[in-house]
Amino acid sequence: MNNFFNKIVELFSTPEYIDSLLHGFLLTMQIAYFALLIGIFLGTIIALVDVAKPSKWLAIPKFICRIYTTVIRGTPMALQLFIMFFVIFAIKGFPSIITAIIAFGLNSAAYTAEVIRGGILSVDPGQTEAGLALGLSRLTIFFKIVAPQAIKNIIPALGNEIITVIKETAIVSMVGMYDLNMAAKDIGSGQNMASYIVPMFTAALFYLATIYLITFIVKKIEKSLRKSDLRAENK
Amino acid sequence: MNGETELIIKNLRKTFGKNKVINGIDFKLEEGERVVILGPSGSGKSTFLRCLNWMEEPTSGEIFFDGQLVTGKNIRKVRQNIGMVFQHFNLINNLTVMENLVLAPIKLKMMKRERAERRTKELLRHIGLSSKANSYPASLSGGQKQRIAIIRAMMLSPEVLLFDEPTSALDPESIGDVLSIIRELADNGMTIMIVTHEISFAKEIASRIVFIDKGKIIEEGSPEQFFSSPKTPRVKEFLDKVL
Repeated sequence: MNNFFNKIVELFSTPEYIDSLLHGFLLTMQIAYFALLIGIFLGTIIALVDVAKPSKWLAIPKFICRIYTTVIRGTPMALQLFIMFFVIFAIKGFPSIITAIIAFGLNSAAYTAEVIRGGILSVDPGQTEAGLALGLSRLTIFFKIVAPQAIKNIIPALGNEIITVIKETAIVSMVGMYDLNMAAKDIGSGQNMASYIVPMFTAALFYLATIYLITFIVKKIEKSLRKSDLRAENK
Repeated sequence: MNGETELIIKNLRKTFGKNKVINGIDFKLEEGERVVILGPSGSGKSTFLRCLNWMEEPTSGEIFFDGQLVTGKNIRKVRQNIGMVFQHFNLINNLTVMENLVLAPIKLKMMKRERAERRTKELLRHIGLSSKANSYPASLSGGQKQRIAIIRAMMLSPEVLLFDEPTSALDPESIGDVLSIIRELADNGMTIMIVTHEISFAKEIASRIVFIDKGKIIEEGSPEQFFSSPKTPRVKEFLDKVL
């Protein structure tokens, strides 16, 4: 036990260790952040193509989107990462962070698309009918009626996806990238520390704290969006 | 009644997959008429009504509104002139009552916001719901929602109003409130088509009764003639059950 506390003191009093952890954390967050941007952007497009009224213009895009989500969701993330690193971007000197961001972004897009699609489809069709019966355009109906209601259904699941991506980036250590997960392993295996438990628990706390903060923010947003659902009088 | 024809329907058919719901309906609606559509459940009466403003796109047949063939191109203009009231009200959940009412007139550039809000306030006062202007639909009762849905349809001053079972989802007390608004619209000369199960209301308000069964008009006529001396055995059987 004494040894355990000594290791804690050692970890937090050695600037190189703290530096490694922070660098690892920064890389983790960079990959997650940019991957989620790509994921939400691309996922929204895929979802809109998927729920749009069928027409001959959209037949091929719809088909491509369906294939895309099926393939991405049907294969392991780690394998997709390997394919990106060792096949598609196996270019000497190509920055590995970009490869990782693209790999996670393309993966997240498929899941985000499902989340957004589900959110849109869960809006009562009667809401769209009301807009149609008033002679409103499909665009107005989407932006004024369907989207605001869909967002309420989307936010909680999207929060989940954000959390998943942050944690899943840990597998970049498999291709030798120095993320938070890798930093913990690196510190623990060093000759001076020679113990995994403290650095790994510390890394776990970093993940946990980040995800706790995100959960908190998502809950706040959810609550403010539910305003119009309250049965009590609203002013 | 100055007898201008609002709607002409020619050989209307609607199928859902293999299910033939409307099997060739010819129909005319004159200005000022109050047509009540009766029929057993599953007869296609709601589908018929919903085909008139293309809530359901007809499989075949033609609809003329104000003498113009209704197509995918002019349907939005047509819908602005044919209001619809739904069984489940369909107020927009994320908008307040006020926003529900002013949305279409403003978006369709028929009124400036100020004028639309003034009109909304007048109509809300008229139905006794002024205090609900800033409430969300979730805080209203079914009867309140339906009365607001009716004035929402009226905001665009349509030539025809379609009612799709407007009281079927309401408690008995609210039914009276909703029916009295419909009655008032009828008294003011509004052209109305209504699908309902309220037989006594149908008798009172209708200028013509249309009976639909298996996707066809079986019989139509004035309420007096329809209820006292039905011509077909199918209608006799129906009336025996419901009266």
